[in-house]
Formats: sequence, C-alpha cells, structure tokens
Amino acid sequence: MTQKEIHNQRLQKEAEHVSLQCYTRRHFIKESAMGLGSLALGALLGSCGNNPSPIANNFFDATNPLAPKPPMFTGKAKSVIYIHMAGAPSQLELFSYKPELSKLDGLDCPPSLLEGKKFAFIRGVPKMLGPQANFRQHGQSGLWLSDNLPHLSTVIDDMAILNAVTTDQFNHAPAQLLMHTGTPRLGRPSLGSWVTYGLGSENKNLPGFVVLTSGGNNPDAGKSVWGSGFLPSVYQGVQCRSEGDPVLFIKDPDGMNRDLRKASIDAINKINHEEYQEYKDPEILSRIAQYEMAYKMQISVPEVMNINDEPLYIHEMYGTKPGEANFANNVLLARKLVEKGVRFVQLFDWGWDTHGDSAGNAVDIGLINKCRRVDRPITALLLDLKQRGLLDETLVIWGSEFGRTPMQENREGKQMPFKGRDHHAAAFSMWMAGGGIKGGTSYGESDEIGYDVVSGKVEAFDIQATILNQLGFDHEKFTFESQGRPFRLTDVAGKVLHEIIS
Amino acid sequence: MKRILPFIISIALLATVVAYIYWPTEKIDYNTQVKPIFNKKCITCHGGVKQKAGFSLLFREEALGNTESGKPAIIPGKPDESELIRRISIEDPEERMPYKHEPLSKEEIEILSKWIKQGAEWGEHWAYVAVREESVPAINDKWVKNDIDKFILDRLKKESLIPSAEADKPTLLRRVSLDLTGLPPNEDIAKKFLSDNSDNAFENLVDDLMASPAYGERWAALWMDVSRYADTRGYEADRGRIIWKYRDWLINAFNKDKPYNEFLTEQMAGDLMPYPDDNKYIATAFHRNTMTNDEGGTENEEFRTAAVLDRVNTTWSALMGTSFNCVQCHSHPYDPFKHEEYYTFMAFFNNTRDEDTQEEYPLLRQYQGEDSVKLMQVKEWLTANVSEEKGDEYYTFLKTWQPSINSLQSDQFNNAALISSWYAGLRKQGSCRLPSVTLEKKTHLMFRYTSNHDKGELFIHLDSLNGPLLKMIPISKTKGWEINSVEIPMSKGVHNLYFKYDNASMESFDVTGVMFDWFKFDEGFPGKENPGYAEVYKNFSDLMYAKVQTTPIMFENNNEQFRSTHLFERGNWLVKGNKVTPEVPHVMNPFDPNAPKNRLGLAQWLTDKKNPLVARTMVNRLWEQLYGQGIAETLEDLGTQGIPPTHKELLDHLSWKFMNEFNWSVKKLLKEMVMSATYRQDSKTNDELQRKDPENKLYARGPRIRLSAEHLRDQTLAVSNLLSKKMYGKSVMPYQPEGIWRSPYNGDKWVMSTGEDQNRRALYTYWKRTAPYPSMITFDGGAREVCVTRRIRTNTPLQALTSLNDSTYFVMARSFAFRMQQLDNSDVKKQISKGYECMMYKPITDNKLTALVELYSKSLDTFTKDEKAALEITGVKDAAPKPETAALVVVANAMLNLDEWVNKN
Repeated sequence: MTQKEIHNQRLQKEAEHVSLQCYTRRHFIKESAMGLGSLALGALLGSCGNNPSPIANNFFDATNPLAPKPPMFTGKAKSVIYIHMAGAPSQLELFSYKPELSKLDGLDCPPSLLEGKKFAFIRGVPKMLGPQANFRQHGQSGLWLSDNLPHLSTVIDDMAILNAVTTDQFNHAPAQLLMHTGTPRLGRPSLGSWVTYGLGSENKNLPGFVVLTSGGNNPDAGKSVWGSGFLPSVYQGVQCRSEGDPVLFIKDPDGMNRDLRKASIDAINKINHEEYQEYKDPEILSRIAQYEMAYKMQISVPEVMNINDEPLYIHEMYGTKPGEANFANNVLLARKLVEKGVRFVQLFDWGWDTHGDSAGNAVDIGLINKCRRVDRPITALLLDLKQRGLLDETLVIWGSEFGRTPMQENREGKQMPFKGRDHHAAAFSMWMAGGGIKGGTSYGESDEIGYDVVSGKVEAFDIQATILNQLGFDHEKFTFESQGRPFRLTDVAGKVLHEIIS
Repeated sequence: MKRILPFIISIALLATVVAYIYWPTEKIDYNTQVKPIFNKKCITCHGGVKQKAGFSLLFREEALGNTESGKPAIIPGKPDESELIRRISIEDPEERMPYKHEPLSKEEIEILSKWIKQGAEWGEHWAYVAVREESVPAINDKWVKNDIDKFILDRLKKESLIPSAEADKPTLLRRVSLDLTGLPPNEDIAKKFLSDNSDNAFENLVDDLMASPAYGERWAALWMDVSRYADTRGYEADRGRIIWKYRDWLINAFNKDKPYNEFLTEQMAGDLMPYPDDNKYIATAFHRNTMTNDEGGTENEEFRTAAVLDRVNTTWSALMGTSFNCVQCHSHPYDPFKHEEYYTFMAFFNNTRDEDTQEEYPLLRQYQGEDSVKLMQVKEWLTANVSEEKGDEYYTFLKTWQPSINSLQSDQFNNAALISSWYAGLRKQGSCRLPSVTLEKKTHLMFRYTSNHDKGELFIHLDSLNGPLLKMIPISKTKGWEINSVEIPMSKGVHNLYFKYDNASMESFDVTGVMFDWFKFDEGFPGKENPGYAEVYKNFSDLMYAKVQTTPIMFENNNEQFRSTHLFERGNWLVKGNKVTPEVPHVMNPFDPNAPKNRLGLAQWLTDKKNPLVARTMVNRLWEQLYGQGIAETLEDLGTQGIPPTHKELLDHLSWKFMNEFNWSVKKLLKEMVMSATYRQDSKTNDELQRKDPENKLYARGPRIRLSAEHLRDQTLAVSNLLSKKMYGKSVMPYQPEGIWRSPYNGDKWVMSTGEDQNRRALYTYWKRTAPYPSMITFDGGAREVCVTRRIRTNTPLQALTSLNDSTYFVMARSFAFRMQQLDNSDVKKQISKGYECMMYKPITDNKLTALVELYSKSLDTFTKDEKAALEITGVKDAAPKPETAALVVVANAMLNLDEWVNKN
C-alpha cells in the first residue's frame, strides 16, 4: 500500500468512526431519554440526521458546538493552514515570471492598458517596471520561482501555483473580506468559521479556529476577516499571541490554584444548571459549555503556545525565536496547533504593501527583506509537516488579497522615491500544498507582462470551493439558513479546481 | 340631472366597495406577499447584481421588459402567457426555476399568478412610506397594560400562544434598573420598590430611575456606538483626540430629555443655528468623530473626503436604518436609491472647514475665568464701537479661529514641502503657492507660524513667482507657534499667492526656515479710532494665545471657501463626474423649499414627521436595547434586504406616538415600553415556547439577554462597592494588560489612572480605535472605526476567562468578598446569602447556597494550608493571612460569574 492509500484509508476510517459515534449517540439518547431540553436533543439528532445531507441544515448543538462532525464525503484534508500576506506581495517578483516585462522597463505604459481602468494610486501615464528579481526553474517540475524565495524552491514539487488569480476589489480591507468571507462587505462568516462549523474540532481543549498575526499590525480589514458572521459566535477565530499571555486572561489570578479554579467552575456550572432548570434558556447550556472550555483552554493553550521545548533543529529549520512575536514563530505554532487537532489556523503577516513610497515598501528592497523573514519558515512548515506525515492531511494555502501592477506606481502622477507597484486586482499568484493538492503543478497564466489573465482564471470563490472540497464539502450544498435564505460561502459562484487536485 | 349625478356617483362608489369586498380574489400586496418571494427565491440570480437570462425583478420596468429570449417574462393580466409562471410551475428539473433549488410552494405560485392577473403592480417598500397613525387592535384582556400589549397579544393569539405572567418584583427591579440606568438600583430605590405594594409601585420605580443621573450615562453609552465615539483618530498611527466634551454633552442631553428632533438637529447642525453657544458647537462633534489620518505622505483631501463619506453613511445607517454606502459606487442593488443621489446628499456635508489637519481644526476654544470675561469685553466693545456684526465675527473667530485658510492648502512646492503632510514649510529661497485667495477689501494678513531663524524675509507675490509683490514680511525666530498680523495693500478679486522665503543669514538650503499653520486675510481689527482700542486689542491678542480646552466641531465654509461637489465615478473620489447640488433622494420626503440647502435644512428634513425612517429607526433601536432584538431585527437596514419587522404595526404605532404624542421625548417612549405588560413578563421559557418561538420574536415571555460590556463592568463595580460616582471629564485608563496598544509611529502609552478613576463607569474608559479596551471587545463592543449600528451578542470561552481572570474583575471580586464580610461578621452562610441578595434582590435557593458553601470549604482548606496563596488572593501585603477572607474571594469570583449575573433575567 502506498503512503497515500494508507492516508486515505485512515481518513475513511475516521469518517466511519464519527458516523458510528453519531449513531450510537442518537441511539443512546433515544433509549435513555435523558433530561436534556428538547432543543438540544433535536440538535443532537439533527447533527447525525436522517437527512441525506445533514450539513445543508442548521445543526448547532449548543451543549457541544465543537464536537467533531463528519463531512459530506471523505475529504483528503483534515485541517487547514492559511497564510495570508496582508498588503499584497508582488507576484512579478515572486511567482510570475515575465521576461517580456523587462524589455518594457522604463517605457510609458501603453494607453490600451489604462483606458477605462481604475487604480488605487496610479494617475496619468505611469512607466512600466520590469521584474526586480531573477527567476530560475526548480525541481523536477521545472516551475519558475524568483531568487527572493531560495528555500521555497526546494519544496516546489509539493506546491501547486495558481498564476491567474483575479479579484474585483483593489482596496485592502474589502479585498481581504472577499477572500475570507466571500463578500467585500462586513457581516459574513469567514472561511475558518465555516470549516469549524462544518467539521467541529478534533481537540476539545483548544479553539477550533486559531488566528495568529505578525508584522506589527492586524490585517486591514480587522478582526472581521476571522469573524463568524451569522454563524454561532463560537465558530469565530480566536486570536492567540506569541508573546505575553498567549490568550488574554488565560492565567488564573495569583493565589488561585488549578484545583480551586476547577472547583469554582464546577460550582458556577452547578448553579447554572439549576438556573437552566428554571429558565430553560439554551444559552445557559451554551454558557456552561463555554466555562468548561475556558478551563480546559487554560491548560492546553499555554502548553501548545509554548515553543521553548521544541528541539534545536526545529528552531533552526524555522528560524524561530521564542518569546518574540514574529512570523516564523507563528508558522511553527501553526504546525503545533494542527498537530493537536486544531481545524483551521489562519496566519496574517502585515507589511507587504510595496508602493515604493519608502525603502521598506520598495519591491527591490523592502520586499526582499520581507521574503527573507517568511521564506525559511514557510519552507520549514512544508518539510516539517511532511516528515510528520501530516502534509497529506493538512492543506496549506499561501496568498493575499490581490497582486501588484506591472507598472511602477506614480502616486499623484509623480515619480515615487523608490521602485514600487500599485494594487492590481486583475492577475496575481497564490499557491496551495498538501491536503490532496497535486504538487509541482502550475495552473493558469497571465499575459506576457502579467497584466491580465489569459487562461485558467481563478477567483476567490474557486479557492474557497477547492478548500471546502478538500475537506469533504460540496460548496454548493454547504449552507446555513440566515435571514430567510440559505447562505453559502461561495454565494452563487465557485468551481473546484480539479486541475490541481491529485 | 343635478339630482341624478350624485346618485350615479354613489352607486358607482358602492359598486367599487362591493367589488372590493366580494371580488373572488383578494388583492395581492406586492410588498408583503410578492417581494418576499422574489427576494428569497429569485433575486440572487435575477436582481441587483446578477441578471441571468437578461431578467431582473428589481424594478417594474425591468421585470416587464424583454429578456434575452426577446420576450418579457411577465405579461400583466396574463399569468398563463407569462414565462415566469410557466417556469416556476413546470416539472422538468432542467427548466424549472429556481434552478437546482427547492421549487416554489403551491401557495407561492398562486400568489404570483394572482398578482400578475391583477396587473403585476409594484409597491413602495414600507420603510420608505411616511409613518401613519395605526389603529390599535381592539383587544380587551386583563393582561393588557398599554397599547403595546394589544399589538403583541393580537399576534400571540393568532399563533395560539399565551403571554407569560409578570416577573417577580426582584427580577423586575433588576431588569428595569439595568435597562434604564445601566446599573443595579441603589439601596434606597430598591427598598422603596420592594416594600411598595401600591399599584403605582412599578411606575414610581421607573420614574425614580429615569430621574437618576445614571440614566444619561447609560444612554450616552449607546449613542457613543452610534456616533462612533473614540478618544483616538484611527488609521495607522491612531493618535489621541480630545473630544470627550461631546460624550458629556450626550449625558446631559439624555438626562434633560432633550427632544430627539432637537437632539439630532444640534448634532447635525448646531453650528448653523442662530447664535450657537458652546453646547451647540460641541453637539456637532457628532460628525467630527470621523477618523483622520496623520500618516506621512497621505493625501489630506483623500481623508477629508473619507470623513465626509463616513458622515453620509453614518447619517443613513445610524439615524435612518439604511445601508446607503452601496450607492456610493452604483445604484442600490435592492432599494430605490440612485447612484447620483449619494452625491447630492453628500453635498450637504461637503462644505465644512475640517481638512484632515494635524490639529483637527476647526476646534471650539473654551475660555475659562478671566479669559471668558475678556472675550465678552471684546465682543461688547466691538458691538458698541463698531457694529454688532463685527462683535459677532470676532467672537466667533476667537471661539473657533475660523474662517482661516489651512496652510496644507498650498501646493507647487519648490525647495519647500508640506511637512509631514501637515504644514507648509519653506527653506532658503524656497517657494509655494496658496491658490485662490479672495483679496477683495482685505487689508490685513494674520498668520500662525513658527521659525527657528532670525533675519528671514517672506515675500508674497500675486499670481506668479515673479508677479507683483504684495508684501514683504520680516520673519524672526519665534517661541514655538506665534500669530502675527500685518497690513497688506488692497487688491481686487481672487488671486493665487506665491510665498517666497529667503534668509541671507542661513547657510543651508536644506533647513526649513519658516513653517505655517494657517492664514487669515481680513480687514484688520476694527475701531482703532475709538477709546479703549489698545486695551481691547490686547485682550484680543491675549485670547489668541490663551490656553484653552478644545473640541473638534463642524464649521461651515463661507462663500470664499465654498467647495463644489461632484459625483464620483464608480465611487472613486479621484474620478469626478458631474457637479451636483444638495438634494435628498427622490423616494424620501421632500425637502422643504423654504429650508436652507445646508446641514440645518437637512436636520429639518430628518426631523420632519414625514421622514419615514428617523422615528422608526430610533424606536427600533430603543426596543432592541430593552428586548435584545429590534422589532425589525436588522437595525442597520430597514430596507428590502433587511429582516422584515415582526410587528410592523407596533413599530409604526410607537413611531407615530414618539413624534406626535410624546413630542420626541425619549424618556416618554422608553417609559411606554417598560410600562407594558409585554416588558414585565417573566423570561422563563419552556419546551413549547422553545419550539414555537426559540428567539422570542413573538414576545410570549420577557427579555432574557446577556448584558453588554458596559453593563457588566458597571454592575460588578457597583455590587462590589467600588463604583465611582464621578461624572464627566477626560477619559480614564483603568487597568489593562501590557502590550495591547500597538500603533506604529505613535509613542502614546496607556497610563493607569489613579484613585477613583480606576473605578469609573465603562463609558469613561479611554477608547483607542485600533486597540480597544480588551474586555469591551471580548463582550462584543466594536472598534468604532465607523458607526456601530448593532452589537451582535456572542457567548465564548474568552468571555469566561475575562470575567474570571481579568485583574479588573478579580479586584471587584475581592472587594465584593470584603463587602460580604461586612454584611455578617461570622457566619459564612449568611455572608453568601446576603451577598447574593445584594446581587439579585431575592433570597438564594438552598441548592445554590450549598454549591457555594462547598466551594468555600474547599477553598478554606487550601488557604489554611497555603498562607502565601491566601495573601496573594486577597491582595494584602504585610499582614497576617486570613484564609477565611481568601476563601470568600474565591466564592465572590464565582458568584460574579453566574449566568444569572451576566444576564438580564
């Protein structure tokens, strides 16, 4: 049996096991008619359901909202690590090899590219800007990659690069919202919430959906990009910090030992149960569950968030520095969290908005520095997941909200102090790896200067559909009833990218 | 003939009436019957954004027009020939609509057929039709206490539900007190109510609560969400902003029950009202809570524009429950607003003096003591010796430094720059242009500037760098910012002014020689020939330098600085389309032709009783505060995509009463709501209610909702005897963990407040937009970057961790334990029981007491063995450990985490 077959068999077994558990649970409840409220009972039954596609209904077990649930079909991935570079790195200096663009460097942008187009900052006629990096082919697949990512080149045969991603939003916050919630406006659940709602969590003592940020700032769209929208709030992302308390107020007050904390939560919940008997408000059951969860988190979060005990070779591999809040630490944490059964880990790294208004924001200076900080840890993540046998069941996504123009930015029609590029929505690059993705593939192409998509166009909805597919969900049937209609992450669009699936 | 005509008319009328009543099919209502089907089943593919097969159901002309097939899908009067009916009724799944989705029900198909038969008429959505007086359902029932109950009971009967009994007195006491004042009742009020057995007991309680100053604080806190109040400016650096006087204005406005129409008018346009006093100016800070961007290199006009757009969006979402921001880029996908209407509306807001300056001009300058005497002297002297106009003009100028021209309006920098995008700075032989300055009748130039160099010379040329010299002004070294006024020769008309700086004593060409803040061209301080001039002029100068308390305010451009407004193509502020003038959207109530076309006129339009949205939005908002959900759940969107109201007639009834009977009194409206039997119901639920109405949308039981972040902090401070009663003033910084503030390019620090400022009500906590106070956010507060129209309540483990472990909450638990010890000096059971009664106003049940006593015993055990822990948990240093106290702290901490405590029952 190949490794892949073993892996598939394992997933199949797990799915069967979960349905079996469900069946037993239903059976048990029916037989024993225990003193649960009818709503909770209904929810328990609903989640195991007689319905052929249980996911299509709202099932939310207030007493155990994060219990693991089977997907619609056996998926290839069990968990997701989504790495988002907030600010939009330049595809032209990383993944999208455009030798023709070098020839146009310094020339006025032809009017055909500007007519009827809007840019965030470009005004008048900008100059074309050739790629500010050398490209080389790597691996057996011979995929092109820039020298800005020397480490990543060693794992290129595990990656599927999408070179014709496109969006219709060219401002950061709305574009980030579109990528993560399926709409450029506020209020819809994020990808991680959908996934946690659909699959629950494998680890009862950790949040199902963890968010880690680096780069000094939160993403532009703020915490809405990990919000739960109309889904129950328990599915929203929990932000963890890699310095100070990993989660705010996770530490007991001085003098309170674990036994006493346990005893006090038991007392609280005992009284709350009494309260439930009187009021029958299911929110009380939910609060009881949250207090239990809080207690467990107090132990498990500091444990998992502590990277001190990782062996030296791991620190060297990732380039981690315990105690700091940095991207490398977050990537290592992502691996640890996934290993512990966290369903969805979302990373945001801020500071990729290379307009050319300062050296730090120049595609030939700042961008290279940013690459140095992420190249090693991301590569280490893929290698480390692989050596632990986790890459097959962990879907890794790297991307951003949009890309950057082949023209040099000329804010206010003036020359910028450094080489930079404006926001570009029409064509940019992302990649996926692991979790049943076909490595060493490249899908989609932009034109010879990277301005527009030529073939293999991919939209945010397609990426979302593919992520859900890898986890075992049909994105067209995975819905939640809200405001009188079923909503889905991909709205009315989205196609699974079968071309990059193994 | 004369006799017959009325007879014929009567017959015709009668026939119509008969036909109306007896016609075989009743009239289908577009809004309540047809539109919901469209919105639910069709509009995703055939509406605003998508128009599959060339068919859209958004507007009537589109729905009846030809589709891609060349034929219309709806033929009025002929359902059998209408493709729409065929496609929703057909069995073949390839043809049937909605494609690949559940088919429409028989009833739905019947409604659509009848509707087409009756002519496929369109209707205006209810929210855009003026509020009419509703007839109250004729219901006679003992349960009913006021009209609200009749609407509620009418619906309950239809759903075969019966209302719950009134909640017990302690529950009601706590509920209404938290709702009206945001605090538990004080002991006097509580005792009075619990021992008052008269019929008026509850009403007296409500009146007492509404008379308490805490009432204003509680409702100001709500309006701080609506008005996006924050103590910082937002964006990247997120520096501080001093605007707390607006918060204090809100507290007073609610406490004085300022009628809602005046409340809105002053906030929208207090500066444009006749003779605005300080309070009217401060009210306008409502729309100065917009963000400003201090980041270097940003385009000031971009962020000025962003602030103006935010004012438009907030006016709609906060005051009129409409998401108007869609219209910024295109016509509204679902509601009847056109793209250009966004900009005609924006034109009302586009002429204020704020321009994203570093100082956040315009500011109200509030003089204290002797300075305010001087201010009156200047005004009175000018009025007596020159003219009333001059008196007013200088009074306004001293209060606001307006009108003046910000130096960031300059351009064409040459060896000069807009320093940090704030101030025009000139280096040796550098120059810049100040465009379009009206010089007509101007004899003086006043300017605020700073220079580090003596012997500088500033040359002002007309219309080009080498144009006629208007004036040479010697510039000497200043002590920080100084204000100078020089005479200039009179010129005609409007000119571009070119400023050149030179300084022979400076060697470097790279150092800034002079930097300007603002300029003012005027006729000079008048009345030179009159007695007392010297003294008054000195007063004037002193006041310009006086140390004052400032608050950002709205101030309108005068004719010289008038800004024209253009449509933005696809919402892009840089692509300007046609010029527009102030107008309100066509679907709304008309703008009074006699009203001024400015913010004051707009305020009149908003508070016109014919405005269909303003009263409804406020009624809905207040209802949501009491019941946990609005009558229309989506407070932010009453339009067609919002969730339809559960009790539309009640919403309209209350809105009508609010405007006409209560004369916009918020207190009267709230009183009506809380006096209803609906509000006073017990909040217990049961299996049947859970099944039929899990979300309590029909109100067969009282509201049971988790308290807001503010409520939670305030009631816990109160019960632990820590709450400071201090009102008003600068925002405070209670304990906050390290590392929360993370703004680049900003050295501001969280400096813990001392003394009672540690324990002020939540609304006084310093609000930093990019890093709000953690417990506020954990309990669902928003960042207030833009207007927060509604907080979505959540229930998470992080909330548990906060109320268990946040030092702020733990200190309260300690103090509550001390209080319990004071209630009884020895018996722990009595301590806990009495403590519980302080929280809930009723005796504790045996089971609850047992659970807490067990916790106490276990804790006592631990702390008897571990003295160090006992000291730590009681927070006492240099004293003998008291295990009993320590154990009670653990119990108090648990009690303050009970579900019944974090909820309003």
